Amino acid sequence: MKGVGKADHFFLTGGTGFLGSHIGAELLRRGHEVTFIARGDRHLSAAERIDRILRWQGASPDDRRRARVVVGELTAPGLGMEAEQRRTLQGTIDQIVHCASDTSFVERQREQVTAANIDGMRNLLDFAAGSGCQGLHHLSTAYVAGRRSGLCREELVRDPAFYNVYEETKCAGERLAWESCRAAGIRLTIYRPSIVYGHSRTGRTFRFNAFYYPARVAHMLKKLYETDIRDRGGVRAKEMGVRIERDGSLYLPVRIAVQDGGGLNLIPVDYFLAAFFAILEEGEGGIYHIVNERAKGIEELMGYIGAWFGLSGLRPCPSAAYERSSRNALEILVDEYLEAYGPYMRDTRAFDTARAGPILERRGIGCPELDYAVFSRCMAYAVRVDWRVNLDGQSPRSG
Amino acid sequence: MDEVAWTAAQCRHYAMCKIDYLDTGLCPSGPEKGYVAYYPQGRMDIYAALSQGLLPVTEALVDVANTCTLCGICDVQCHFVTGLRPVRVMEALKGAVAAHLGAGKEVIHPAEDELLDALRAIVGDEWASNDPAILITYAHDPYPFKETLLPRCVVMPGSTEEVAAVVKLAREHGIPYVVRGNGASVYGMVFSEGIVLDTNRMKAIEIDRDNWTATVGAGVTAFDLQQAAARHGLRVNAAEPAATVCGNVICTGLFSPWSAAYGTFADHFVDMEFVDQEGQVYCLSDPDAPNLYAYRHAVADVPGVCTRGMIRLHPTTEDEEGMLVPFASLEGAVRFARELSVRRIGLAIAVLGGHYLATFVSPSPEVAVRLKESLSQVLGIEYVVFVVADAYGRDAIRKMGVAVMDEDLVRTVILGLPRLLDDGWLDLIGGYSGEKLPYELLCQPELRPLVEAVLQPSPETLAGAVEADLRSFYRALYRRPRYTDIAWLNTCRIVSARMARHKHVFAFLVYVPLERTELIAGLNAEFARVGEALGVSHDYGFLTPMDLGKRAVLEYDYYIDHTDPIEKDKAAAIVAEVVPWLDELAGSVSGVTWIKTFFSQGCARKEGIFYRGFHGRSQG
Repeated sequence: MKGVGKADHFFLTGGTGFLGSHIGAELLRRGHEVTFIARGDRHLSAAERIDRILRWQGASPDDRRRARVVVGELTAPGLGMEAEQRRTLQGTIDQIVHCASDTSFVERQREQVTAANIDGMRNLLDFAAGSGCQGLHHLSTAYVAGRRSGLCREELVRDPAFYNVYEETKCAGERLAWESCRAAGIRLTIYRPSIVYGHSRTGRTFRFNAFYYPARVAHMLKKLYETDIRDRGGVRAKEMGVRIERDGSLYLPVRIAVQDGGGLNLIPVDYFLAAFFAILEEGEGGIYHIVNERAKGIEELMGYIGAWFGLSGLRPCPSAAYERSSRNALEILVDEYLEAYGPYMRDTRAFDTARAGPILERRGIGCPELDYAVFSRCMAYAVRVDWRVNLDGQSPRSG
Repeated sequence: MDEVAWTAAQCRHYAMCKIDYLDTGLCPSGPEKGYVAYYPQGRMDIYAALSQGLLPVTEALVDVANTCTLCGICDVQCHFVTGLRPVRVMEALKGAVAAHLGAGKEVIHPAEDELLDALRAIVGDEWASNDPAILITYAHDPYPFKETLLPRCVVMPGSTEEVAAVVKLAREHGIPYVVRGNGASVYGMVFSEGIVLDTNRMKAIEIDRDNWTATVGAGVTAFDLQQAAARHGLRVNAAEPAATVCGNVICTGLFSPWSAAYGTFADHFVDMEFVDQEGQVYCLSDPDAPNLYAYRHAVADVPGVCTRGMIRLHPTTEDEEGMLVPFASLEGAVRFARELSVRRIGLAIAVLGGHYLATFVSPSPEVAVRLKESLSQVLGIEYVVFVVADAYGRDAIRKMGVAVMDEDLVRTVILGLPRLLDDGWLDLIGGYSGEKLPYELLCQPELRPLVEAVLQPSPETLAGAVEADLRSFYRALYRRPRYTDIAWLNTCRIVSARMARHKHVFAFLVYVPLERTELIAGLNAEFARVGEALGVSHDYGFLTPMDLGKRAVLEYDYYIDHTDPIEKDKAAAIVAEVVPWLDELAGSVSGVTWIKTFFSQGCARKEGIFYRGFHGRSQG
């Protein structure tokens, strides 16, 4: 088994996704040949989708021309490709990067998440085993650790227990890949990032989930109640105890239940990308965490949101006291959201970086802190694009 | 074709301009003159024919044009259900006639006809005509498989006796005839080269409170009867508002979401009066009358001319309210509807799809399209179970552990629709990725203040979705609570005609065994497959449980532009594929019957349609 060669031909899944598209564009930029497997959607063909996303990534015309696209479906046997096309690909690819994943946490979507993260993995492994590829690079998640507390090591998870179907299926996917690649003699590298947000220097992203979501809710509520107070006499605002303070900020009475310690493990996409390529080029196979050494406290993030959007009234509340009190509609909405993301917001675990750490250190790659300046850049970008980047071919919204 | 002629040709013939469902009053000339030609629907047909050179300027045509006052009632009435603006057609019609007369061109006098004279001798001179401008409005409908067929005469009898005399006259002269109720039939069934009997003058309604019945003339519409019943605090089960009650009973039997409580077919009347083909009058309560209560498992003929019906009335309670229970799958919704029916919860029950729900509540086709997409893709609502229930029923439903859109929330959503469809808000709801479905959040009572803050529900907000010159009308209309009261809307069914706002609908109606959820889902999937394969717009319609959850009626709809020959061919292909399949199902699956055989047998007992008796069994 050898490492990655300079002109290797990569087969990339998940190229229309957030991390997959960053990796695909960077592979092209570094001179690799890249074949993307993708589906068309209601508005665009598979090739158009890839082209559009590569443009967003700033890929040069030359790089975009070199991007090859095959139409396929990971959850279908044989990846849904024509047999001959599949055989040709299997004969020419050197490396596989597997980024495709269903990131839904919700139990009612178990079937769909399982299909993407387990059946899709199985089909890809069959494809890999029948190919001449040297390495399989699997994008997993730090949260395969599930409910494990304390130190989480860069190794397959033993005796797993999970918060949700996403963690469970990603963990099962790792194990499948591990066994299959060992049998097929393919070097497997598993990358486990924590939660990835936009670019730390430009704020660019096209995914506005994770911490963007509460910020977006806050932004919407601010606009909503300011308009209500300004144009409609503030009847709705009054009902909710919302008012404009003397300093011009909008008072939104929202408490968020917090526990001592813990927070969100957040990394910017530029750091992720640098770390991924360092490991891709220098790694020796196996499992690598790409994480932040310091989790971001939820109180601190709330402070950022309040400061950036000019909101007062957002305040942390000890869980016990919060549970005893009655909640208003805004708090209920926030709680509904936190129900899904809760485990990641109060994370007290440490992710071991014994394997990734030295590689990143050698290259001088460190994780930028999500301070208020970085947060501001992310919010400025999000607000500028109105929380949506149009990559799906639909006409841009008006207003 | 210019835009005005296109509008004229788009008239769906749903006859909604013949009922005063928006409290605007009716087109003034219609009730006075009676003929369809004097209603906006008729003027649309006349202009369409005139603009294509198919109709000369006749005496009646001049009168039809001159009696239009351009009052604008048709514009708001038609816009409400179809989105069309007929006033431009009316202006063009008046303009064309004025130009014709101004140029001194000839006005055609109808030809002499002995038959016409004989008909006039029966009904009076003004109630029979052979003027082509009158006849053209009785010559076609949007049904794709019938060509225009001009009758020789149109007659409007005013009584059972006059109907009997007309039938005898037709029989003596060997002239074919058909009966037309309000003209809302869109199955091509009311055309004849002979005589068309229009029942529009037979509009008597007599409420007998002690007998719990309303006796209605053949020309009484469902809407008019429902209004009359409501004035007594009562209700009837009536179907589409512009359809005549008698016509509806005879053709398909009455069914609606209220059939869950009030039944269907013979459940709806105490007696019916007919004129048979010999011109003899009989009523079903006569022991010697033909047995129309018995259902024939075969295609049947019309049993005669129905002249009166004695329709059952039902009590109401003041605590009745409508609610919607959303579901992500048809199977879930059907099971829930069945559960309600088996447990006798609710008066009106129907499983509606996204298309019906979106089009029923949306003030414009554009809003309807966006709402349908958002219901499904953002809120996760694929189907809803619509229920009207009293307070006890609603309590029971809440205890069944489902998310519920109660009357207030539905009103909030209707009046806040343009804001519900605001992209930012939808993105936000769509971005929620918790264990609950997005619609479950929307339904949470605790979140109501927030929902109201976002939607800012008001007649002004809603009116913002229609053309600027219609906004003041819509604002005034939606200030009246009944237009956002889903129980009232469903009782009077004034929004159901909106389903065909984008294209004419042709519907398949099938009675199904309700516990066979997989069969129902399979039917739905097969109807959809056929539509997709043939490139025809299609959608699930509705399903209503009946007979305590044992059976249900299912409607599946195909939509075609009836003015487009290619679409007509596609419709023919649909029929060619669907008919043998449904015939086979009806022959092999217990509890499946479809409209092909129950059409014209609306007086039959429902038990004959739902189940197989001794006779039905032997017939196979």
